[in-house]
Amino acid sequence: MIFLNKKGFNMKTKILLPLAVMLLTAGSCKKLEVAPSDAITTETLINTPEGLANALNGAYALFKDHIEFNGTVDMNNMYLRQFYHLSDFASDDIVCGQVTTDPLYYSFSLDHSPSQGNTRYFWYVSYKIINGVNTIIDAVEKQGSEDATKKQLLGECYFLRAFCHFNLVRLFAKPYSVDPNSPGIILRTSLTDPAQKGRSTVAEVYGQVIADAEKAAGLMTQVRGVQYASKEAAWALLSRVNLYKEDNAKAIEYADDVINSGRFTLTNATSFKTMFANATNSTETIFCIAFTDLDDYGKFGSIASMIYSDGNSGWGEEFASSSIRSLLNQHPEDARNSYIVPSEVEGVVQKKNGIEMYYITKFSFQGGSPNLSSPIMFRLAEMYLIKAEALAKQNNTAAALENVDKIRENRGLENMLYNGTLPAGKSALDVVLEEKRMEFAFEGHRTYDVFRNKRTLDKTYWGYHLRGLKETDVNLATKPSGYPNMTVPYTSPRTIYFIPVDEVLSNPEVTQNP
Amino acid sequence: MKKLLLICCCCVLGYLQTFAQTNSVSGKVVSGTDSQPIPGVVVMIKGTNGGASTTADGSFTVSIPGQTATLQFRYVGYTTKEVDVKAGQNITVTLTEDVTQLNDVVVVGYSSKKQSELTSSVTVVSANKLKDVTTNNVGSMLQGKVAGLQVVNSSGQPGSAPEIRLRGVSSVNASQSPLFVVDGIIGGNYDPNDVESITVLKDAGATALYGSQANAGVIIVTTKTAKEGRTRFNAKITTGFRTADFGKLDPMNSSQLYDYQKELYRDYIVGATDNTYKIDLGKFYAERPLRLRGQDYDWVGESFKRAPLTNVYISATGKTEKNSYYVGASYFDEKGTFTNTNYKRLNLRANSTYTFTKDLSITNNINLSASKGNSYDYMDMYYSFLNIPWDNPYNADGSPFYMEPGLPVEWWSRDRINPLHTIENSDHPYKGLNVNYDLVVNYNITPWLTFTSSNRVAAGTDKSVNYFSPLVAGNYKANGGYIYELSSLNYGFISNNLLKFNFQLGDHNLSGFAGLAFENGRTEYSGGSGQGLPVGLKQLSVATSQLRPIGYFNQNYLNSFLSQVNYNFKNKYFLSGSFRVDGSSAFPTNNQYASFPSISGAWLVSNEEFLANNSSITNLKLRASYGITGTQDIGSSRFLGLYALTTQYDGKSAAVPYQLESPNLTWESKRQVNVGFDLSLFNRVTLTVDAYHNNTKDLLLQVAQPLSVGFETRWANVGNVINKGIEIGINASPFKTGKFEWNTDFNVNFNSNKLENLPATNVRSVNSVSQIYRNGGNLYEFYLPKWAGVDAATGSPLWEKLVYNEAGESVAVEKTSNYSEATYQEAGSALPKYQGGFNNTFTYKDFSLRVNTYFSYGAKIFSNNLRYMRNDGNEPYYNQIVLPEGSKIWSGPGDTEATEPSPQNSAGSTETSTRYLKDASYFTIRNISFNYNLPASFAKKLNFEGISVGVSADNVATFTNFLGQDPQTTITGGNFAMPGLQDFKYPNNRQYLLNINFNF
Repeated sequence: MIFLNKKGFNMKTKILLPLAVMLLTAGSCKKLEVAPSDAITTETLINTPEGLANALNGAYALFKDHIEFNGTVDMNNMYLRQFYHLSDFASDDIVCGQVTTDPLYYSFSLDHSPSQGNTRYFWYVSYKIINGVNTIIDAVEKQGSEDATKKQLLGECYFLRAFCHFNLVRLFAKPYSVDPNSPGIILRTSLTDPAQKGRSTVAEVYGQVIADAEKAAGLMTQVRGVQYASKEAAWALLSRVNLYKEDNAKAIEYADDVINSGRFTLTNATSFKTMFANATNSTETIFCIAFTDLDDYGKFGSIASMIYSDGNSGWGEEFASSSIRSLLNQHPEDARNSYIVPSEVEGVVQKKNGIEMYYITKFSFQGGSPNLSSPIMFRLAEMYLIKAEALAKQNNTAAALENVDKIRENRGLENMLYNGTLPAGKSALDVVLEEKRMEFAFEGHRTYDVFRNKRTLDKTYWGYHLRGLKETDVNLATKPSGYPNMTVPYTSPRTIYFIPVDEVLSNPEVTQNP
Repeated sequence: MKKLLLICCCCVLGYLQTFAQTNSVSGKVVSGTDSQPIPGVVVMIKGTNGGASTTADGSFTVSIPGQTATLQFRYVGYTTKEVDVKAGQNITVTLTEDVTQLNDVVVVGYSSKKQSELTSSVTVVSANKLKDVTTNNVGSMLQGKVAGLQVVNSSGQPGSAPEIRLRGVSSVNASQSPLFVVDGIIGGNYDPNDVESITVLKDAGATALYGSQANAGVIIVTTKTAKEGRTRFNAKITTGFRTADFGKLDPMNSSQLYDYQKELYRDYIVGATDNTYKIDLGKFYAERPLRLRGQDYDWVGESFKRAPLTNVYISATGKTEKNSYYVGASYFDEKGTFTNTNYKRLNLRANSTYTFTKDLSITNNINLSASKGNSYDYMDMYYSFLNIPWDNPYNADGSPFYMEPGLPVEWWSRDRINPLHTIENSDHPYKGLNVNYDLVVNYNITPWLTFTSSNRVAAGTDKSVNYFSPLVAGNYKANGGYIYELSSLNYGFISNNLLKFNFQLGDHNLSGFAGLAFENGRTEYSGGSGQGLPVGLKQLSVATSQLRPIGYFNQNYLNSFLSQVNYNFKNKYFLSGSFRVDGSSAFPTNNQYASFPSISGAWLVSNEEFLANNSSITNLKLRASYGITGTQDIGSSRFLGLYALTTQYDGKSAAVPYQLESPNLTWESKRQVNVGFDLSLFNRVTLTVDAYHNNTKDLLLQVAQPLSVGFETRWANVGNVINKGIEIGINASPFKTGKFEWNTDFNVNFNSNKLENLPATNVRSVNSVSQIYRNGGNLYEFYLPKWAGVDAATGSPLWEKLVYNEAGESVAVEKTSNYSEATYQEAGSALPKYQGGFNNTFTYKDFSLRVNTYFSYGAKIFSNNLRYMRNDGNEPYYNQIVLPEGSKIWSGPGDTEATEPSPQNSAGSTETSTRYLKDASYFTIRNISFNYNLPASFAKKLNFEGISVGVSADNVATFTNFLGQDPQTTITGGNFAMPGLQDFKYPNNRQYLLNINFNF
């Protein structure tokens, strides 16, 4: 009844107008599609050669980038920064001059926890690289190409997978030599693996790393520059892994492959002093991660800023330990001293909280910048020292010392060669490890070399790794005594880190380290 | 708006006068609150149908049938009054405000309803209840005034916005802020001074109409419109100052720190056998010369100063037969208490409605706002708290001292940085310009059918700069300064087109609407950063190194159908149903559309005959509602597997795995049940009680992945958040005489929250502070080792270590001094168990006093500042807080009273643990304001209609045991931010203001 309006004739126009507007609105309804502005879908990416090349570049970039983790882009978070902190800050080469809330401090204090930010990020990015290259491997292998460029790309992917798995097993699992059957890390070699997957044993991880690196060496035929993986980089990795595995013959074999490739020569004592500032051009570099000017992260995010400052450029809170300094100081002419620079005022070495400030410069001065370098992952000197260690373990002292001398000849110690004679009271292995400590100080080798050889780390020097140390207790004239944490035996559970809490909580297959 | 409607009703009533006019009575109606005339008051002659309504100046004339009559005066928001009159009399009638506002018209969803017709849980806050607090944000004005609304003013930074949550937090990764609707259209800009009223929609009965965007509730803002014919002007000037409220974070002065540092000289080496446990004073005085006590520089005092605030507001309203308008201009200028921070905003609004014919009207509203301000760098505030009082920030000439880490001068503070010098040589400005234009067409097709089209075009641009001169020590000096610029341009369009109907058929009333809506928004960002700047220049173009461009955009579309039907029978039984369908561009093609229904009902018991003559129960209504709302607000393209192309390697383009694919991603939906009642007793007390159960299903959740898959999370629809709670609101006038009146309102909301059906447990950490998301747990639940005090024998810190049996159950609690052995445990949530407000207004003659308070109980807040400022000598060159009463530093074996570890054995003591997790329950006197209306005769002499002056004080006092800055702490996560993590935040302000208000 009420629907019948008196003005029924006008109804048409009256209703038409609103209806027209309604239809217009309906018409303006868009197709609900929005494309991302600075990202690309995985399918699009892996189906073009450029996309695959970009994805591989991305895998390299992750070694140097600060990517978001736990909702935050923290400049402290970087694969390499954390790799060096987790490795060397735990060693006897670097001393802590200042207590800090930065989780890097746990490597000194050994107050490890499964929720410490740096191990979590390192674990996360390592697997991001691994799964990223797995995506490329999967796509390329499905495409089944035999072209050399594609094989090179595939080889680099296998190399990076092996390299990342290996660094993980070094930080989160016992050394192979200590217990090959103990829990290693999670192997990610396939896109179709279940997300929840347990840890493989250390031996299984080494097996996979070697298999991947061998495959990589077989695939790579191109030389794209030392900032990219190459056949030689894969051999260098294989040499290192086999040494850790105590397969000394293989370690020597792969070291020889690198040495005999002819691509690299040892730098001399003079050019050694500038090698780390010019890593991409050094004749010794086998593989480095390229940092360009754009990757100069300054005080807040660089590798160098914790261990060096020009007064403004860094935090400069960790220093070369008195232990490594006294070793190198035996021969002031040793070129390797040049990477330890005291912070002096009028000839007096400054102290921070009572600790002498000897800065470390192996990660500085690329292009003159105090915070820039392209960290070297593999260099030729290591091949000689791997050989030396393997030969020493094969009881071939003479050959071992010969290889050690090859290094010393090029570091300003041409007058201090062993010439086949062991110093009194030292074994060949002692000599090799001492040389390696000096040669590779601050380069992320020391803790592994100590613990895999079942030795004890001696940190009996003043520094804030000593539990409860107060500045006022520091007396540089004596050695500290009575403090916990002064020595760390290879049997200590704190020689390795806890599996990050994120993994343990969301992946029940994983067991935690003790 | 509501008053406007009433005027219309009254006009209609006026036409209905059919009887012969004989004897007249005239007079004027004024408000008891401010003695202002009230237009539109319905004047009824009791016992007849006759009457009139007051004109713009509050005057009226009625004809009474005989020589005497009783006149009844009714006006919304005021108590109805009856007056006996004689023919020919001229009277002045004063109406008093009514706390029960049953006949108020409330703007809900896409329509307006009378309060008595509401079937859902809705709270209205009128302008006069908002304006006691002066801020730039309506949200902070709402604190403590709406049951169920949690308002956190976590920062005192100029221009900062509060965090608002309704009935707890119901999403994990999607947006949790209520939807703001301005003048009927989603989103929009406005100035607090332009606000006429705020309506908070709390249950699905009301919010389901906003479907996909209403998961966190809806706050409807209605701006001012003309109420009467005559042009009226209003001018308000507010001015005053603010000071920083540091809560209980009380940094030591020079001599306090000096005495404290003696503790670092106790002769105690852990493990040694010859400890004397005595303080080695000889060594102390050698290393800490006595002169230090005379070097007392108050870094906090130098960085935080009293800061002025000014707000000027002018408006004009008026109405003619065809046209009604409101024009408002507001200027807000606040300085921050922290050096070189400020915020200014200019807002212009023009609202007008033109009535072409009685069937067609068009409303044009335009709002223009411009703002600019200066932000700050976190590190500067950090050092202002942590630098120690022995260091002099100034040169002899009063300029900040240039300190760089390597400078060989005596400087005690840890990082050897002078923040005052940094502040002087850096700049963090931002600017914004925003325009909204609303076009609303109302067209009455038939008396029962109306077409309404409301449309908004919005556009805005913002720019922020972060600049450090090369003169700034540290990183900036090394790299030649730093500049970062980001500009954004946003624009969008919303259109709602509805057909509204309303019929009355006997005792049955049926109303509702159906229509289509369309939304589109796009924001584009561009900018960059660089280093190597010439001194004095602040342009990106002059940067010479580290140049990094920034550019990206976000875009979204939403297509909707919406409808609602309301039915009521005899104004006793009310039933309402709504149905909305939304399609969102945030989801893959097959999952874009979802529907959001609701049903709600009410029984107005007091309209039943058995309560008709009950003088004690003046209003009783029972309500119930059920409905579904949703969320899609997670950004675009969350369902795609993506590689980000925002980086490079060796100068070459690089793609980094960014997001896992989630092809079935779709809406998060929240099922809401609400039951409640409204009860008014003796016209003096109103009680509103609601109970709710909200189950958010298919959460848009970033499901934790094992990190070993290379991604932290994958978006998926999984898991539930359940919020249950009770809200109680009481409004009363306990005391009311002619001159004195006391009005009070109290509200409280108990809320509990629970996570269920999560596929994996997730731990999120910021600054090493962790929170756990687990089944059966609460949102924002801290996950930390439990602090177990100090070992009396050794002075070392202790934590709990749980011992587990083989089945994984904890069977015993041990204590350990080894932090890495401590067990992580759930330790309480950052969300309060209950919170609310208690507000009182006292009026005596022309004076009024209003006291607002706010309370929050049961939240846990991590006071991260204490990790630095109560660090047991771990970092001796940070300033410390004065230890709270009852604290004692361990002094030797057997010291069982010690609460603080020995500085000589404190390793790990500042690691994150429940030591720094504090109960953040508090009660705060939010605001006290005192107002005086000058006598009308005085105002008239100055050619004003009314003048009032007032003084107010904000954040007067906070009562809490929380150790840290004031306990209001962010409940939003983000970059370096975690809900419940307090970390050198910008302190809240105490604020003292004078305001003068002119009407003319």
